[in-house]
Amino acid sequence: MTTETKTRTEAVARSRSYADEPAVAAIAAARAPRPEAERQKIRVDGLNVFFGPQQALYDVDISFPEQQVVALIGPSGCGKTTLLRTLNRMTELVPRSRHEGDVRLDGASIFGPEVDVVDLRRKVGMVFQRPNPFPMSILDNVTFGPRRHGVRNRALLGEIAEQSLRSAALWDEVKDKLNQSALGLSGGQQQRLCIARALAVQPEVLLMDEPTSALDPISTGKVEDLVRQLAETYTLVLVTHSLPQAGRVADRVAFLLSGRVVEEGTAQAIFTRPKDARTEDYLTGRLG
Amino acid sequence: MTTHEAAEAARLRLRHAEAVGAASVRTRRARSARGYLVLGLATVAILAALFPLVDIIALVTVHGIAAMKLSLFTTVTSGVAGGLQNAILGTLVLVAGGMIIAGPLGVFTGIYLAEWAEPRVAAVLRYLSDVLVGVPSIVIGYFGFAVFVTGLGWGFSLAAGAIALATFMLPYIVRTTELALTKVPGELREGSLALGITRGRTIHSVSLPVAAPGILTGLLLALGIGLGETAPLIYTASWSNYDPHLVPTHSPVGYLTYVVWTFINQPFSASHELAYAAALLLLIGVLVLNLVARQLLVGRQAD
Repeated sequence: MTTETKTRTEAVARSRSYADEPAVAAIAAARAPRPEAERQKIRVDGLNVFFGPQQALYDVDISFPEQQVVALIGPSGCGKTTLLRTLNRMTELVPRSRHEGDVRLDGASIFGPEVDVVDLRRKVGMVFQRPNPFPMSILDNVTFGPRRHGVRNRALLGEIAEQSLRSAALWDEVKDKLNQSALGLSGGQQQRLCIARALAVQPEVLLMDEPTSALDPISTGKVEDLVRQLAETYTLVLVTHSLPQAGRVADRVAFLLSGRVVEEGTAQAIFTRPKDARTEDYLTGRLG
Repeated sequence: MTTHEAAEAARLRLRHAEAVGAASVRTRRARSARGYLVLGLATVAILAALFPLVDIIALVTVHGIAAMKLSLFTTVTSGVAGGLQNAILGTLVLVAGGMIIAGPLGVFTGIYLAEWAEPRVAAVLRYLSDVLVGVPSIVIGYFGFAVFVTGLGWGFSLAAGAIALATFMLPYIVRTTELALTKVPGELREGSLALGITRGRTIHSVSLPVAAPGILTGLLLALGIGLGETAPLIYTASWSNYDPHLVPTHSPVGYLTYVVWTFINQPFSASHELAYAAALLLLIGVLVLNLVARQLLVGRQAD
């Protein structure tokens, strides 16, 4: 996505949020509040992340409760994507990146010497901003992960594929053309295929980096419904530029600004009575 | 903005518009003259560049076709006459040998540069690879002579010739492989890594299949380059009137470029015919390889 379109999308999201701000709050409030999570799936403690001389995150403390959707919101460049990508150590792919502090998954540090990053990324899956299906068949896309991890049994692979595609609400649309190229699917279908592909390696956490920013409104609606369904099983972290989207799908919301978490709480609390003036400024379109 | 400011801005705009418009009219003729001059120079340059090319192709084709006969393919060279069987087979084994060495080496180096190397290490390797492109081929030939032919005592041989050719082909393969891999969208690579797939498997299952046409193109172009080289072979494979013996050392090998290079200087029409026939065969070989490579590239862009 070019910066230009990105700023435009943001501007649209902002203007909408300004106009619909009470509506967003209403949406968040109308959803039955989910019971407090029994335990925290991921805990981030005093996290600092640097890219070369630049610091992207400052002293981030945040928890991600099990089977809930946490939305990370904030203006461009605030560090929400960096935070997301630190959770499965994808930030390490950037040359000269380093971190201080700790991230614990189920109580164990993800940076520990005994941790296999391959293992971590299998458990903490990721969906990207733009659909990125591999140039191969739909079936091969979904079974790509399990096959590379060593599953050979064809029947089992087929079963995993069907289950994953069903979970991603795509099965009915593609079951008759599993052997066709994934590149022939629409953008929304491709994104759900990428979700199915991520689910196929049986993750526990799913990280989503603006998963609907490249999609039309109908596809966006489908993916949002899917996010709610997935929260029944998985722990989800969602980066989004759309406040209405955060209102529709998030249990909790964290507002980031300039690499710091300004405020974090239930979606209802954040949208109806933000404690920090900067959060309120952002929600009402005065900041960003 | 006050009314006064607005009026002032409008006045300035008008003045600037007049000035730029007037200047544009003044220089119109000069501009168009300069345009014609550039066009003329470009046309002359193109003709100057095209003429030798067309001339070479026409000359080689006309003389080559005239010299073509079946016995070229069935008999070996004797003295400065006879056939080209030894040279054709020799060129094939030398180029194949060079590719067997340079292909895997170059592709793996390219993979390393694109996927693994630290930026600084990559920059150094890339620089060395570029230097290798710039080394005159006769120097590579002499290197082969000094190291393999006399140094290791292999004599004029297939191994020495193939290694010298491989040295010449290597940087092209490294560069095209690296380029093809860096063109693979980062999103695909990240998509695979995020599934918990190792880097090696990501390269094998995602990056390489996507980059394959580009890599193959590079290999074919390197084949074409190897096919047309003389200098790396003169001091390493030397020349032989006999079909190549498939032994690595102590057995010189003949090849087509040698025929072109040497026989055209002989005062016999029979040797001239051989030279033109060899040149035509080389031309066809290089042309076919380039066409196939181009086809691969076009096919990739159509995806």
